[in-house]
Amino acid sequence: MQLLRKISLSGSLLLALLLITTMWVSVTAAAASPAKTSTFQTVRQISASHTTNSNADLLHRLVHAGRLAPTVHVLDSLPPTTIVQFPLVPSSIKKAFPQATGLVTIVRGDRDNAFSDTITVDVQNMPPNITFTIFYIEFASKPFGNVEYVADLTTRGDGSGETIFQNIAFVAFAMDARNPGTSQDGQEGTTSGINLEHMGMWFSQLQDAQKVLNDDTLKGTIFDGGNPPLHAGPQAMTDGQTAPVF
Amino acid sequence: MLKDKVLHLRRDGGCWETGWGRLRRPGGGYTQTSEGVGGVDVGMGRLRRPVGGLAIQNRGYTIPILGIILLAFLLSACSGPFSSSSPAPTSTKTTSSGLPAFPTTALALRTPAFGTSGQVAPTVKVLASADPSLIVQFSLAPASIKTLFPDATGLVTVIQGNPQTNDFDTLIVDVQKMPPNVKFTVFLTELSAKPFGHAEYVGDVITRGDGSGESIFHLITFVAFAADARNSTVTSADQSGDASGIQLEHVGMWFDGVSFARKVLNNPNIPGTPFDGGGGALHAGPQAMTDGQTLSVI
Repeated sequence: MQLLRKISLSGSLLLALLLITTMWVSVTAAAASPAKTSTFQTVRQISASHTTNSNADLLHRLVHAGRLAPTVHVLDSLPPTTIVQFPLVPSSIKKAFPQATGLVTIVRGDRDNAFSDTITVDVQNMPPNITFTIFYIEFASKPFGNVEYVADLTTRGDGSGETIFQNIAFVAFAMDARNPGTSQDGQEGTTSGINLEHMGMWFSQLQDAQKVLNDDTLKGTIFDGGNPPLHAGPQAMTDGQTAPVF
Repeated sequence: MLKDKVLHLRRDGGCWETGWGRLRRPGGGYTQTSEGVGGVDVGMGRLRRPVGGLAIQNRGYTIPILGIILLAFLLSACSGPFSSSSPAPTSTKTTSSGLPAFPTTALALRTPAFGTSGQVAPTVKVLASADPSLIVQFSLAPASIKTLFPDATGLVTVIQGNPQTNDFDTLIVDVQKMPPNVKFTVFLTELSAKPFGHAEYVGDVITRGDGSGESIFHLITFVAFAADARNSTVTSADQSGDASGIQLEHVGMWFDGVSFARKVLNNPNIPGTPFDGGGGALHAGPQAMTDGQTLSVI
């Protein structure tokens, strides 16, 4: 009987010990992550405060000099990244959707080693459930000049939408290799071809535009790929700037 | 009775049930038995003997022990993977037999139409894929690097998840046995060989030390075109029919810098080309890889 009591007591003590150990390990593990994060944040803050981002500095100077549009925000990112943001504003939809807004974010990892740039386009208060095309363009408004079709964005029922794509943005250009010519890039100096430094969004279907804008006289435009020609609608959003936005 | 299943822990919605029966071994392991109100026997099976076994019959000890055990299991369950801080497992529809109603066979494949005969290059392979996807593959062959890197190969894969609704295409470029540690630009072009015509710069590929490399881009590929909006009457033939602008239906790779090309190809007289963006006009090198086709590949 004594032996039995000892076993019973030892068992319960062992279990209690196990329980306490388990709880202690859980609490320790949970507490460890924030502590590490905190340490990393501290290191990063220290690094950031002592590291200059030469490319971001250059873009800041270009904005101040008027060689990049005043609407361009050059984010205070860590080197070697470059992150710029600029708004899109309504053009043909301004009357019907005056509250429409767009935000473009372009991220480049490393100027010398990045395969491509990452472009995020976010819109709000746009015509709902409509597909828009996105183009890099030579000029922000008519006649737009040389263009490059880069992606689509289909709005949700509440007029919001987002698309993220990866291609060359900061040094996008158009050319005919038979006669490429040159142009001036705000960031790069003289470059081959014609730089595409603006962005716009177009109705991908003329019929959508005619319906949304309640205007049957709207004409088709080139701003969508595929058959038939001139099946796209008018420009819906633009960066609206004379100076380059990227 | 808690004979067959030692402990049941059921969480709301999760239908999580733990039974130790599968872990039990005949004559061994940990068992609990309950006999009537307040009558609990705890036996350590491996220690039990047929005669003079070590059964506990004392209520004063067994009730606290049982309480601690239950508390321990409850706390263990709370700190487990299905604790409140973790998302609860999603419920799945089940069949009448209780099995999940997931597909048991592969999707049917079909080979979608891509252009018409005589319009698309013979090197283009349209993969049999599940509806509504369209996947096209074609090879790249060495151009200026052919003499020094005759075994260089490239494979381009273009994917449309749903041609009716996709925001962009996915373009994957894989190369092997290329000049190592060199950056190449990737362009969509009007023509696969000189004079190349209109071109669109889409991304870069940087080869590794073994000459291999891969890049993935997300952009409009199948209906890529070049246009000057001031001259909107220009049209050209696309797989889908006539379309605005000048279709860009070829893929090529160029040396990112002419200096690299001169070094790799051991030829200081190679002229610069416009096939790279950024500072310095004509700072790119010659075409390194081409689809080499007259008919369109995308």
